[in-house]
Amino acid sequence: MGTRVRLPFVDLPMALAALGLVTVGLLTVYSATTVPGAHEGLWIRQLLWFLLALAAAWMAAAIHYRAYESLAYPFYAISLLLLVAVLVFGTSAMGAKRWLELGPLKFQPSEIAKIATVFVLARRFDRPKLDLTRARHWLPPLLFTLVPFALVAKEPDLGTSLSFPVILITMYFWAGMPLGQLLLGLSPVLNVALFFLTGSLWWFAGLFALLLGLARPRLPALLIVLTLNAGVALAVPHMWNQLHDYQKRRIETFIRPDEDPYGAGYQIIQSKIAIGSGGVTGKGWLRGTQKGLSFLPMRHTDFVFSVVGEELGLIGALTVVVLYAVVVLRGFGLGAVARNGFASLMAVGLVSAFFYHVMVNVLMTIGWAPVTGLPLPLLSYGGTALIVNAVQLGLLQNVALRRHEY
Amino acid sequence: MPRFSPGGSTKEQRYLVLAGVALGGFLLIAAGLLQLQVVSHDEYRRLAQENRVRLEVLRAPRGAIYDRNGELLADNHPSFNIVFRPMPAESLSRATAAIDTTWLRRIATLVEADTAEVLELVRFANRSGQTAILRRNASFPMLAAVEETRAELPGIEVLIEPMRRYKYGRLAAHLLGYAGEITDTELDSLGSAGYRSGDLIGRSGVERSYEQVLRGHDGAEFVVVNAMGKRVSTLIEGPPRPPTPGHDLRLTLDLKVQLALEEAMKGVARGAAVAIDPRDGGVLAMVSRPAFDPNEFSQGLSFRRWAELSSGGANPLLNRAIQGAYPPGSTFKIVTMLAALRAGIAWPGTRLVPCDGSWEFGGRRFGCWKRAGHGSLDFIGAIQHSCDVYYYQIGPRLGIDALHAAASEFGFGGRTGIDLPQERRGLMPDLGYYERRFGVGNMRKGTLLNLAIGQGEILATPLQMALMAAEVAVGGAPIAPHVVHTVLGADEPAARSLRSGVTAAPAVWQAVRRGLERVVDDGTGTAARVEGIRVAGKTGTAQNPHGDDHALFVCYAPVDRPEIAMAFVIENSGHGGSVAAPLAGDVLERLYLPDSLRLKIRISPPRPDTTEVVHGD
Repeated sequence: MGTRVRLPFVDLPMALAALGLVTVGLLTVYSATTVPGAHEGLWIRQLLWFLLALAAAWMAAAIHYRAYESLAYPFYAISLLLLVAVLVFGTSAMGAKRWLELGPLKFQPSEIAKIATVFVLARRFDRPKLDLTRARHWLPPLLFTLVPFALVAKEPDLGTSLSFPVILITMYFWAGMPLGQLLLGLSPVLNVALFFLTGSLWWFAGLFALLLGLARPRLPALLIVLTLNAGVALAVPHMWNQLHDYQKRRIETFIRPDEDPYGAGYQIIQSKIAIGSGGVTGKGWLRGTQKGLSFLPMRHTDFVFSVVGEELGLIGALTVVVLYAVVVLRGFGLGAVARNGFASLMAVGLVSAFFYHVMVNVLMTIGWAPVTGLPLPLLSYGGTALIVNAVQLGLLQNVALRRHEY
Repeated sequence: MPRFSPGGSTKEQRYLVLAGVALGGFLLIAAGLLQLQVVSHDEYRRLAQENRVRLEVLRAPRGAIYDRNGELLADNHPSFNIVFRPMPAESLSRATAAIDTTWLRRIATLVEADTAEVLELVRFANRSGQTAILRRNASFPMLAAVEETRAELPGIEVLIEPMRRYKYGRLAAHLLGYAGEITDTELDSLGSAGYRSGDLIGRSGVERSYEQVLRGHDGAEFVVVNAMGKRVSTLIEGPPRPPTPGHDLRLTLDLKVQLALEEAMKGVARGAAVAIDPRDGGVLAMVSRPAFDPNEFSQGLSFRRWAELSSGGANPLLNRAIQGAYPPGSTFKIVTMLAALRAGIAWPGTRLVPCDGSWEFGGRRFGCWKRAGHGSLDFIGAIQHSCDVYYYQIGPRLGIDALHAAASEFGFGGRTGIDLPQERRGLMPDLGYYERRFGVGNMRKGTLLNLAIGQGEILATPLQMALMAAEVAVGGAPIAPHVVHTVLGADEPAARSLRSGVTAAPAVWQAVRRGLERVVDDGTGTAARVEGIRVAGKTGTAQNPHGDDHALFVCYAPVDRPEIAMAFVIENSGHGGSVAAPLAGDVLERLYLPDSLRLKIRISPPRPDTTEVVHGD
């Protein structure tokens, strides 16, 4: 086990970008919680969490990734148990069970399950003669992903649960699955999504024909995909019509919580006013006006980016975006340069989840994505989320440290 | 080199694809930021400065409730509520300064409430950002007073919101139920179903069992308001979302029948009556006494009034028609007769040992209600005159299993599945029940004598008794009692329970019907006789360990083409034949006799009908 840490090989741009983001996060949490009322002084706790997170990142980087590789399955099993535990014992907030409480610690097991799933998938894809056109190579990873996906979706936490398919699709692609096959496999999902978006099946039919031309699947695969799609196309509208009105409404609010007129829609508008009123230069740190009272309810957690946009303006917000871009692009780059298969796959899987979270949260604050309750990595207040993000980044540095090893 | 196969593309190509996707995503964010912070900056700056976008909830009207002929029973009408609305951010300091004790006292005087109560509501509103209702359905003088002083009282407003109105007040109150404001505990458990503070939620009756279809889906609009909280315009980019009204309900209830039943039960202190249509099980009318006025709940109930309504022996909120369980008494002889006839242990013409006023069994004497005795009777005569001694002889021959089977088929001991909440099962003991209670083989010998005449452990709801009469009327066909005919505007029919009905040969039914018609024509139930229509019924007097006997009566009419089956239970009032049967006669007269012929003539004096049971060993 090469546990000797050689600092010079740390990916410096990524580390500096991450530190920059945490700094912005601390400043914003400080600003967001200085309005009269509750939450004052939260930034000190966040600072303490940050020190803890640094230590966690160090450890994640120091232990050779081969250890994670060999412990992937037990780790995965434990994370599934935690996901079941959260459904049974979890603390609910706003009707969803997402948190487990261990003494003073409160954490979302879905965060741990994400990392565990990346380990397992990386291990499965890192094998000689991998042929992802064969079911015995692509099916098990699919099942390994569907289990945590379903458990998290049941909480219900659609936002987080979708990061599992994002990880899987990215890693399929990175492991060499042809793009055509990937899209063809996704076609039943596209089918349903397009049906709900457009209300007609013709959009999908056109897209599907195009896909078939591109991918040219073998006959058995073609038949399976066709049957699946026909089944979905026939079953979904029928099932939908069978539902009661109130059941339909529940599904609609599940898919698009911002349709809920009181809660989420209100937040979106307040968030847009906060960001929009910030302008190019912003109102200045601590000078935001929209963060008071109930105007931005989750200003230090889910809507922290709105405070950034209001106080630091376009310049500050774009800087944050650039810092995220550095982390993500360097991360994918690490995947490309790492010589070890497991390390390379792990890097890409972790970065894809990170990227997904950033996109969903920021697009939510500017009103281009539904309100899903995902925090913004490294910026939002929240100790355990910060530690989990730090561990992810530590794992990426782990790959960076040993990128020349096979 | 990585060990996994390249699959047609090189690692570099794949990196470029991923990096491209990531860059595209970040550019999308940048575009969104440009749009908000540069292109629309002026508009958002204005909104942020003047402040104020506020969310106005557009309450969805709750569905109306109609009777089977489209007569309105419950709907909504506008109510003027005096509310406190939390201040927008920039005037927060101004608001906290304003809400001092003088402010509080003035508000409290205006809305006629305690200062502490108002303070609590205002604090909650400020914490949660939600509007707090200080006074529902305010009177016009109160509204005028508020309007006059509003400029000096920041945060106070008048909102018009739909309020539940029950057109006939107490009429069918237990069946309709009532809707009340949702409590904090309910909010915690139902928050995900889209309930908000201030929402109404059905708490009993149809209002509760059809909560999901009655309640609509609230809408909302974003409005721009000035610093005084006055509405300036609606926000351009969050177009108003109109509320979706709840579905209307058409009940099986018939206002005409309900009025007749209410009228008949006018003088009853405690008791219940149900009328159902034997052809489909639709409830035509349902009365429970004492009753309450559901309108009281719409206006917000004081804690004291609530305690008055919900506790105490009378408990007006209890729907005795489905939640009261009473010994069925002699009305249960219908079940015993059918069970005996279909088991072949007696025929309609069978004469047993003549009644001399009592029957000795197992060393104990069981008395007949008629101490002088009935003499020799056949089965028809035994039910006509409700002779207990005849039934004492039937009980042990029939056995617990056969009796329990027949009673279960009639619906005793189980919920009828009516679409009303909290229906009680009642109790129909089987052998296992006694074995659990007294040990295997220890069921007392006299038990079956008591059970055969509807005494002992048997308990039934008035609805179950009405169902028994209805089953006789239709010859055992499956009947599913229900109160909602259709959910208007919904694509599916209202749910119905599935019951299997009672199996017996046509001749058996004919004999039971003949017996019941004789009860009314020339037996214990003559008080229910109505000129011009054929009525079949059965009286009952249920012994009650807690007080005077309950008077019972079940019936259906007209015998040749049954349209209505009824059950009456009048608590602690005496004999079924003299107290309950006249009420049935009263209802039938109102329904079947033209007004001109509705004379209060009692053809013959009612005969007493009581069953005496020797209790204890």
